[in-house]
Amino acid sequence: MIYKNIAAIAAGGAIGAVFRYLINLQLLSTGLPTGTVIENLTGSLMLGMVTGWMLHSSTREWINKGIGVGFCGGFTTMSTLASDSFVLGSQFSFMASVIYLTVSLFGGVLLAFGGLILGTQWSESYRKVRES
Amino acid sequence: MNMFAVAIGGAFGAVARYLFGLLIMNRFPHPRVPVAMLFVNVLGSFGLGLFFGLIYGEIPEYVYDDTWFLVAGIGFFGAFTTFSTFSVETVELVRKGSYKKVWIYVSLSLLGSLLTFITGLHIGELL
Repeated sequence: MIYKNIAAIAAGGAIGAVFRYLINLQLLSTGLPTGTVIENLTGSLMLGMVTGWMLHSSTREWINKGIGVGFCGGFTTMSTLASDSFVLGSQFSFMASVIYLTVSLFGGVLLAFGGLILGTQWSESYRKVRES
Repeated sequence: MNMFAVAIGGAFGAVARYLFGLLIMNRFPHPRVPVAMLFVNVLGSFGLGLFFGLIYGEIPEYVYDDTWFLVAGIGFFGAFTTFSTFSVETVELVRKGSYKKVWIYVSLSLLGSLLTFITGLHIGELL
């Protein structure tokens, strides 16, 4: 069972990292770490949805792990966030890195919260449809 | 080729995060704050800083054609550390109403990752 999970996480992580890379490439010309902000915020929303969905549904474990741990985990990143905020602080100003961290933190938490609520609602209505 | 480099690094990074997380959760089954991803993020940020310092002697910019940057920087350390789990775990702490733990978890994660990244970078530059 654990090998199935690991295979799913490897695949999800690879796809998530490639998506992150492609978005970063598109936004490289801005000279600002906007790519990482977009990835971390949308990834938080998505993991919130997946987590909410899992609470009441019986989707197979390897699918949940592949999407949640693999894709969402590999799509979002903390190490680049640390690097970005250091670069912002040294190239622009201390305030720039404070803004970057604040937007990431509050944006990520709010979107994860919204995702959790949506995911929970979806799994409940899905279950009602199946039971009726 | 570049996408393949990122994919390989990302696959190993995500699996390493999962196994490392399981290991920490086995050792600390009932932590007060979610330590598993906190530890992973702080360690991975240190690793990225160390990698930058050792290989480039600085934080590299515009090196999206460098295979090692793609494998290790974007792929492995990018996928080993995670922000989405951090967000969801913060929400769960907020929902439980443990605001002191929220504060501890958030500042340890963000400042911890930033500080270990800088430490890794400087150690790498010295070596």
